[in-house]
Amino acid sequence: MLIPESWLRTYCNPPLDTDQLAHALTMAGLEVESVRRGAPPFTRVVVGEIVSRGKHPNADRLSVCTVNVGEAAPLSIVCGAPNARAGIRVPCALVGAELPPGEDGKPFVIKQAKMRGVESAGMLCSARELGISDEASGLLELAPDAPIGQDLRTHLALDEAVFEIKLTPNRADALSVYGVAREVAAITGAALAPEPRRAISPTLTEVLPVRVEAPDLCGRFAGRVIRGVNARATTPAWMRERLERAGQRSISALVDISNYVMLELGRPSHVFDLDRVHGPVTVRWAREGERLELLNGQTVTLDASVGVIAAGDTVESLAGIMGGEATAVTLDTTNVYVEAAFWHPEAIQGRARRFGFATDAGHRFERGVDWATIPEHLDYLTGLILEICGGQAGPNDAQTLRLPERAPVTMRVARARKVIGIDIAADAMSAIFTRLGLAHTRAGSGESETITVTPPTYRFDLSIEEDLIEEVARIHGFDAIPSRPPLARAAMRARPEAERSLHTLRARLAGQDYFEVINYAFVDAAWETEVVGNADPIRLLNPIASQMAVMRSSLIPGLLANIRHNAHHRADRVRVFELGKVFRRDASVTDGPLTVAGVAQPLMIAGAAWGGALPEQWGAPKRAVDFYDVKGDLGAVLPPDARFARVQHPLLHPGRAACIRVADAVVGVLGELHPEHLARFDLTQAPIVFELDAAALQRLSLPTPKPVSRQPVVRRDLALVVEASVESERIVKTLSSAAPAFVQSLDVFDVYRGSGLSEGEKSVAIRILMQDFERTLSDSEIDEACQRLLSVATTELGARLRT
Amino acid sequence: MTESLQQIVDRARAEFAAVSEGPALEDAKARYLGKGGALTELLKGLTALPPEEKKSRGAEINRAKETVEEALRARRAELAEAALAARLAAEAIDVTLPGRGRGTGGIHPVIRTWQRVEEIFGSIGFDVADGPEIEADWFNFTALNNPPNHPARSMQDTFYVDMKGTDGLPLLLRTHTSPMQVRYAREHARALVEEGKPIKVIAPGRTYRVDSDATHSPMFHQVEGLWIDEAISFADLKGVYTDFLRRFFETDALTVRFRPSYFPFTEPSAEIDMMFDSGPLKGRWLEISGSGQVHPAVVRNFGLDPERYIGFAFGSGLERLTMLRYGIGDLRLFFEGDLRFLRQFA
Repeated sequence: MLIPESWLRTYCNPPLDTDQLAHALTMAGLEVESVRRGAPPFTRVVVGEIVSRGKHPNADRLSVCTVNVGEAAPLSIVCGAPNARAGIRVPCALVGAELPPGEDGKPFVIKQAKMRGVESAGMLCSARELGISDEASGLLELAPDAPIGQDLRTHLALDEAVFEIKLTPNRADALSVYGVAREVAAITGAALAPEPRRAISPTLTEVLPVRVEAPDLCGRFAGRVIRGVNARATTPAWMRERLERAGQRSISALVDISNYVMLELGRPSHVFDLDRVHGPVTVRWAREGERLELLNGQTVTLDASVGVIAAGDTVESLAGIMGGEATAVTLDTTNVYVEAAFWHPEAIQGRARRFGFATDAGHRFERGVDWATIPEHLDYLTGLILEICGGQAGPNDAQTLRLPERAPVTMRVARARKVIGIDIAADAMSAIFTRLGLAHTRAGSGESETITVTPPTYRFDLSIEEDLIEEVARIHGFDAIPSRPPLARAAMRARPEAERSLHTLRARLAGQDYFEVINYAFVDAAWETEVVGNADPIRLLNPIASQMAVMRSSLIPGLLANIRHNAHHRADRVRVFELGKVFRRDASVTDGPLTVAGVAQPLMIAGAAWGGALPEQWGAPKRAVDFYDVKGDLGAVLPPDARFARVQHPLLHPGRAACIRVADAVVGVLGELHPEHLARFDLTQAPIVFELDAAALQRLSLPTPKPVSRQPVVRRDLALVVEASVESERIVKTLSSAAPAFVQSLDVFDVYRGSGLSEGEKSVAIRILMQDFERTLSDSEIDEACQRLLSVATTELGARLRT
Repeated sequence: MTESLQQIVDRARAEFAAVSEGPALEDAKARYLGKGGALTELLKGLTALPPEEKKSRGAEINRAKETVEEALRARRAELAEAALAARLAAEAIDVTLPGRGRGTGGIHPVIRTWQRVEEIFGSIGFDVADGPEIEADWFNFTALNNPPNHPARSMQDTFYVDMKGTDGLPLLLRTHTSPMQVRYAREHARALVEEGKPIKVIAPGRTYRVDSDATHSPMFHQVEGLWIDEAISFADLKGVYTDFLRRFFETDALTVRFRPSYFPFTEPSAEIDMMFDSGPLKGRWLEISGSGQVHPAVVRNFGLDPERYIGFAFGSGLERLTMLRYGIGDLRLFFEGDLRFLRQFA
């Protein structure tokens, strides 16, 4: 909202300069986002009159003007503007003038100069050259009576400040110049001038019959017939300037006047072309399927949740939001019907948004507009129309149906002190209400003292005790409330030791050379349907772009896109991870403390490694990262009992993919990206990817250490030749099941395929560590154990000893 | 003429000094102390002397022998030391070559901020809450005193998904972290009423709004804070949040101001602005958080009696805090996954 400072000061003029006033408003909750001026700084530009215009001897497009700037001798100035002609008054930059910087950013200084051989003693300016507007087609033509020689900044009031205020939705009462003035008076204590009024003596008796059928829509309705107006009248300059500074383009006198009253007093109104209103007027809820062509050209189809003003069988206006095209005033209009009403906020809220637009009237009505001053404001509007457009006015025809209650609100002084946290005196609170213009009474004393406020009809935000406490705090000043470290009971808080925090998981993956990334949770639908294999992803109803249309059910495609991005920037090795929620439809999920019915939203941790196993370096051979590298990395985050098993997964290479189980539950997958997805992400080398349920990784068990044996350890190696398809975990499990208790560990330390073995065979070398707790093992016990392991391997796995 | 003992000793010393290798030193030793060595020969010649002379001459020769042996030991040690030094010199490496193996990754800057915020609030006993990102209308809006059609709803442009909640309203992507405070408070209301345990929690997480330009991302992070007890006031809010900013930015050289504002879920409501006293952002008010005393309707939706329980809430943008902390000017850097950016936070 734009509030011109001079307009504001006509109603309340505190002894503060522009910046102080802006600060005071900001600190009272009416945030001044910026203070705009009419034009950027420039100097020595005055009003000049072109006395005569002659041709330039050496250039067809230039002219030589004689310009009167109020000095003894007129100036001769060379000018290229097409509209330069004798008699007009234009801005004239004198020699020495400094104009706003051009596109090169340097200030532009006017010097006495020869232009194509003719002396020029200044420059005539366009609006754009002065930074007033973008208009550059010719000289800025000033009013014919502009005082010659007057400083242009003074003449056009270019130094006048306009406050751009970001108003919060609760402050309906401040949506006007007068509303802000009322606030300035409350903040500063400066006097508030009364609202402008016009007394109207009707000269017509004509009344347009209006029937309000929906008092839950319209609480009060006032209208008046005005005949014989001149719709082509010129809007007075003072009104046009105020409108323009407030950001409202001048359209036509009747529309301008309606807008002016809205900006000044916060009173939206509507002006109908009376000759186009056919039949009795009714105010009612729309009927299903009724259609209306609006002023903005949009045609809307209505239903019973939207209020309308109808004439006969035709809907003419969207109540409280926008008028219809059919009854809009034009330059040919001579008879009008002006209307101002109270529309219940609940009857307006959200309606315009549903049709996809917003209007100044709707914005005000859905927040609440004062109903008490409707007849007075209608008279003011009428008075301005009669003054500017002429005409004969009928009576002010007002009816009141159902108005909101303004129940008194009681504030306990002690409660206010408790919520705010300081001891403000009851007298001070009462003084604050007085400054705010809130009628109030006091009762009780001491701890039980109360102040009861009857909210004025223009305040829609005062209905509970806290609303009054807020007013006290706001006008007392938030700055005047101390910043106090609270006193609280000291209670310790500790995370269970057997639970790893998410930050620990992150730190561990970062320690394995992965960088954390954050990707959007909404992704391209094709990533879900074609890459992840989720046929029915959760869709956004209003995505901002098609590549952000569905909620992801896997973090992996985003990581692949991260690899692509970095590869495009010449990275040859990328290792990234992300911790985030994924989203899937799941009918088994019910509403719970952390759940929403129908949607599974588990937190996952996923990673991708691409390029070399190690960064390219001097001391290690180059080798592409593979499954086992990343499986090793995962040791940093998986619980020790995690188990891997082959799995088929749409994202992954069918022969190089594992699901990961912890305590029999599948907690994630690890594998090489399926080659069919490489091209989509512009890759030739397949990344290794993983995705794990973060919650499963957080759970650990407490250590349960056993005593350490002091007996000697014996190591034996067993190299077994088995079929290549026999998985190492099966070998270890088979041997473990047959091992005597003193066998402490069985670990694969080498796998070999190649010469010396036949096709389809591999040799797996197992390290066996043996140690008894009580005594030294004898050679025969050791040999016997090895023999037994070998024979189990032979019978169960078809293994033979490698020789 | 025969050499004096001193001459023999001097000659031995000179010879020892002249050799530069172990075997040559042993050869030199043999010439003095060996079987036919000069000093050995002199000792052998003692037998021919009368007894008194034998004694004194013998002592002299033995002293000379000890001197030579000492010189030998010293020279041996010198040579060993030189040999070791030579070996070590030959084994020298270029210690400036990079280390072998893998490097170290890094934590995302926004998450780094998240973690610090948890630590700072954790230091005065704040718990950390979690919650769903696809959220029900009630938790995101209505419970927070923002019913359907309320003008305040247009303050936040909401993403909706193609699913409905059990109340029949469309599910949405949470527009702020506040629904987590509602969920947490409802779970912990009983502990407050029955055991007097205050509700004291922060709720960091991802949030979503239909907004995308240089200064807005459709997905971003917030951290919500909530402290409800019997007498937690607006002055306490000012104290806690001001302290937080000073700890977070690790300086007392910043000014904090609270400015009246409006949010449906707090009253009185405040925007919190801060200003650095030094550095590149010196002297500019920077919006950092929305805050206020929790609205009684919201306290009621927590399952608590607002007559008895009051307190404050605030919500801050983690990206904003991160950008101010590290001087990052472009929001998009956080979501591009560009290693050239992320590596700087390793």
